[in-house]
Amino acid sequence: MSSSDPAPPADTGQGATLDTVPESATLWRWRIRQLDLPVQLIRAAVVVGLYFLWSSRALFKGVPITVFGFEPLPEVKDIFYAVPSEVWDYFTAYYHDLLFWKDLWVTVQEAFWGFALGSTAGLLVGLTLGYFRRLQKIFGPFLVFSNAVPKIALAPILILWYGIDMGSKIALATVIVFFLVQMPTTAAVGLVDPDLNILATTMGATQVQRFRKVIIPGIMPAVFGALRLAAIYSMLAVVFGEFLASKRGLGQRLLYSVNQFNMGSAFALMIVLALIALALNGLIGLVERRVLKWQSNREGGQVVSL
Amino acid sequence: MSDSAVALENVSLVFGGDDPRTERVVALDHVSLRVPAGQFVAVVGPSGCGKTTILNMLAGLIRPTLGSVSRNGSEIQGPSRDVGYMLARSALSPWRTARQNVELGLEIRGERKADRRLRATELLAQLRLEGFADAYPSMLSQGMQQRVAIARTLAIDPDLWLLDEPFGALDAQTRLTVQSEFISLWETNPGRTVIFVTHDLEEAVLLADRVVVLTARPGKIKLDAPVPLPRPRVLDELKFDPVFTEIEHRIWKELRDELI
Repeated sequence: MSSSDPAPPADTGQGATLDTVPESATLWRWRIRQLDLPVQLIRAAVVVGLYFLWSSRALFKGVPITVFGFEPLPEVKDIFYAVPSEVWDYFTAYYHDLLFWKDLWVTVQEAFWGFALGSTAGLLVGLTLGYFRRLQKIFGPFLVFSNAVPKIALAPILILWYGIDMGSKIALATVIVFFLVQMPTTAAVGLVDPDLNILATTMGATQVQRFRKVIIPGIMPAVFGALRLAAIYSMLAVVFGEFLASKRGLGQRLLYSVNQFNMGSAFALMIVLALIALALNGLIGLVERRVLKWQSNREGGQVVSL
Repeated sequence: MSDSAVALENVSLVFGGDDPRTERVVALDHVSLRVPAGQFVAVVGPSGCGKTTILNMLAGLIRPTLGSVSRNGSEIQGPSRDVGYMLARSALSPWRTARQNVELGLEIRGERKADRRLRATELLAQLRLEGFADAYPSMLSQGMQQRVAIARTLAIDPDLWLLDEPFGALDAQTRLTVQSEFISLWETNPGRTVIFVTHDLEEAVLLADRVVVLTARPGKIKLDAPVPLPRPRVLDELKFDPVFTEIEHRIWKELRDELI
């Protein structure tokens, strides 16, 4: 589009042919429109605003209001928080620190294995119970009871059983992830469009074919929703486990930093933990985009799109 | 009896009865119907009269409480891979493209990929969907979805076509188009027996060789009338043909108490 282009004809519909309708946008124009600049600008403004609010310490000055004798927004002492420059200092320091990378690797492995084992077991059990209603009837109540146990309460016991190394953290994450995946998977099997099952049956599909061609694809949207949640909760379980008792790991390092009032380090580590969870989430998103290609023209299902 | 593609002999079907708190529902009451091979039968009746139940029995999904349901002379024991059943809803798998949906029955039969593709492509072209083979159902209009469902039903080249109000969800315009495409597909595939369930008498007379009318529950055969209209039928003209109107009117007079 340059200024030498003829002006579009007045929109009377008279005498205009389809040739005069402008060609659809070029690729780069389309990309820019996809970016949705106002959204990006507002996002940038929010980031900059928060950064200055944080740097100016205004966030920590507190608001003097009292609700039933409780101060919801108390003033935070300077030694109990860190400003961006201090956080940045620790990032630059960690960058050289081999032990930091070792801790990171330990936490990543724990979260990954907890996620992998828990979601595999959750999917298998979830599918089995969803498909064989009789089994669901028998075992459903036991699972509901097990799920009702606050899983975090298992942490001290699991540390006794599996020791203070990675095993106990993986075990805790596995248990938490298992229920997060199993419950929605079982429910999703029951929610697969009954017409699709009937149709496959009238076509003479075997049980295995029905499973492969109707049930498995039918539950995928629900499963991916559960997996995304599970990835985040796997991190949560692992960090909590490390708080409780561990030799290595970012959670352990975070607790140590807070105990030392080393807030720059603590804040930096929280950001690193969030980044790891986001990376796990992103990996799931990559698989999801392939598996749920058919949903790509719908909104939603995306946790982050940068 | 052996010359019937499909035969219902004194078929009754009772639903419920397991639960003593609910009342038993007699869906069909001594229904007998013999359909010779290659005939197009429309089953008309008010909703809840057991029309779909007849199809479900012919598809092998349910067994009659009394009587026998047979195909080509032998009792139907269960679903068969050479019966094409089109449900009232298009029931397309949202994760399959139009072509993959059409291939479903062929996949279940274990046919080779190349053959499946060829057959699906051919059928989609016959239903004027060539450009949409790789589109997902959510991107297709209702009329297109219904045409994909027709293609899927016919992909396995069944000798018995069971159709349950296949055009019920379409607007009048689209309906006539899809009906026309459908009837010409049938007319070019001689020997295929069709049981077509609808609540629309005009549609029944327009398409079928024979119209069977069921009463409201419990379903009984109220009327079994031939439709002596020549084929091939050009639906948009036939609609205004006095012979057609007269046949429709004649059947209508006998039924108005059932259908209203």
